[in-house]
Amino acid sequence: MSLPTRLLPLAAAAACALALVGCANSPGISPEPAASVAPSAATDYPVSVDNCGFDLNVAAAPERIVTIKSTSTETLLALGLGDRIIGEAFPDGPVPDQWADDAAAIPVISDFAPSQEAVLALEPDFVYGGWESNFTPETAGERAALRDLGIGSYVSPAACKDDAYQPDPLTFDVVFDEITEAGHLFGVDNAAAALVAEQRGDLAGISADTRGLSVLWYSSGTDIPYVGAGIGAPQMMMDAAGLTNIAAEVQDTWTSFSWEAVVDADPDVIVLVDASWNTADSKIAALEANPATANLSAVQDGRYLRIPFAAGEAGVRNVAATASLVEQLSAIGLD
Amino acid sequence: MWGGLLVVGLVASITFAVTLGPAEISAGEVWASVLHHLGIGESPLSLLRDGIVWQLRMPRVLTAAAVGAGLAIAGAVMQALTRNSLADPYLLGLSSGASLGAVSVLLLGVTILLPIAAFGGALVALVLTLLIASAAGGLTPSRTVLAGVAVSSLGAALTSFVIFWTAKGDSYREILNWLLGSLAGAGWSAVAISCGAIALVGIPIMIAGRSLDAFAFGDTAAAALGISVGRTRWTLLVATALLTGAMVSVSGSIGFVGLVLPHAVRLVVGSRHRVLLPLSALVGAIFLIWSDTLARTLFDPREMPVGIITAVIGAPLFVLLLTRKSTRV
Repeated sequence: MSLPTRLLPLAAAAACALALVGCANSPGISPEPAASVAPSAATDYPVSVDNCGFDLNVAAAPERIVTIKSTSTETLLALGLGDRIIGEAFPDGPVPDQWADDAAAIPVISDFAPSQEAVLALEPDFVYGGWESNFTPETAGERAALRDLGIGSYVSPAACKDDAYQPDPLTFDVVFDEITEAGHLFGVDNAAAALVAEQRGDLAGISADTRGLSVLWYSSGTDIPYVGAGIGAPQMMMDAAGLTNIAAEVQDTWTSFSWEAVVDADPDVIVLVDASWNTADSKIAALEANPATANLSAVQDGRYLRIPFAAGEAGVRNVAATASLVEQLSAIGLD
Repeated sequence: MWGGLLVVGLVASITFAVTLGPAEISAGEVWASVLHHLGIGESPLSLLRDGIVWQLRMPRVLTAAAVGAGLAIAGAVMQALTRNSLADPYLLGLSSGASLGAVSVLLLGVTILLPIAAFGGALVALVLTLLIASAAGGLTPSRTVLAGVAVSSLGAALTSFVIFWTAKGDSYREILNWLLGSLAGAGWSAVAISCGAIALVGIPIMIAGRSLDAFAFGDTAAAALGISVGRTRWTLLVATALLTGAMVSVSGSIGFVGLVLPHAVRLVVGSRHRVLLPLSALVGAIFLIWSDTLARTLFDPREMPVGIITAVIGAPLFVLLLTRKSTRV
């Protein structure tokens, strides 16, 4: 722990300097979604929020942000804040095309959860993580320790694991609230409002499938399947798409499940989470290779829906992902 | 008498364990389905539900039986060979070596067969343990266990390193199941490997194991009884490593079966290996069948790794045995 102590004066100095810069500048960039909106009214700093039980105080608009996991990177990109990201870590996959140019300029610190030193070396004033587990002594550092260094930290509220904070169930309103809150923290309220308005419109435009189809949200695992359960982002999207989750009874975001329960339910369709380390194709191969699952009607008829890993976690891609699920569903002929 | 009773118990365990599971299928339907696959009558179940019985439950129960039997035999033999009541494949590092071999194959894409890699890992770990113990002054029970602990820790560290280095995203979850020991993925190929290992290695060990009685009084006594001490010991140890490797390759490393069950059996029937080994095998088979049945039904529809169950049951049992026969350990 000698490093934080050694960096303390430096980081404090950096934070002070940034605080001045932050006060002097109104939010720097005019993000694309906000372009049609009237020029922004700046956030009144300091801002305080209760984030997963952590008292977060932001003295000035963060300018040097490190993001961990795709959901946080993509939230900032969607808010037009790509140029404030000085490094990203643990990306779950490529960002959607619309943000690809902005994302290309962002250096990737680590393909995994980064160490505290790797994060501090970039001298960030803020770390935005997708999971609470991104803030441990082995990873980016505990949030209190970062605060002592003058570094703010934020966890996607949808990923709070404490009972008092975990959304139960997660809804699109919670997701939109997160966008609004993030917009407020980063000083781009108008961009956030415009993004939420746009997403609400897109969501309202989705007409859910009405055939009452049952579905397995197959995230990972071969021996023991790991699937979307009853209260998380998968359930939220399945609900919006008009699908009935066979694992809905499990009170968790994701859960380990059993193949026997899957075969017993014989879902109409299977959502395959596509990750670079565990592709949708490899899941199909596994389903077909296992003699018990090979006879599932969805496997026999190839009734698969695909979703990129990063779009399956709560974030700015959920609305588009739901639309994509519905579109893929419409191509599936089932009575 | 015990043998007959346990054989009946094993058959009954298999018969009833297959009727239990998250899917509601009546016992009668399950048995009719099994009989159908054995060539008698028709299955009353749909193709899918028939698959639940014949592709998921049946191979899993049979694998549990074979793995339980194999680990119990391995434990009993190692306890006799090292004159060490704490010896078992888990404690002497064999399981951890086998895991390392298997995980390397799984994650690094080393292209040799999984059971062979697991056997290789188990053998290397065993040799390492015995070499360390010998170098430290001879194969006394405490030295052997301490050497085993060292090798086991090293194997676990290397396994963790391989996982840390290669597991991406949420794929560590799968490996975790594997490290804790799980039979969730056991299909008919697992039955072939584990039952094949029992037939080709386990049964010969049980037959050869009769000479183990002589080891109880020390190497000199064994030699006086006309046993080629060195050759017998090494043949049996290598065979035990082979057996352990085969079991670990289908189940991951499951603890406490090899350690606790032979002791429990010894308490009841004494330490004549002609009796001890087959009975340990039967008790091990029954124990693991029911542990795994708990693992897949306790939190239905969730599954948990069976190694958690064997440890939760095995650890207190072990303490009980320790206190009952504290003079011998």
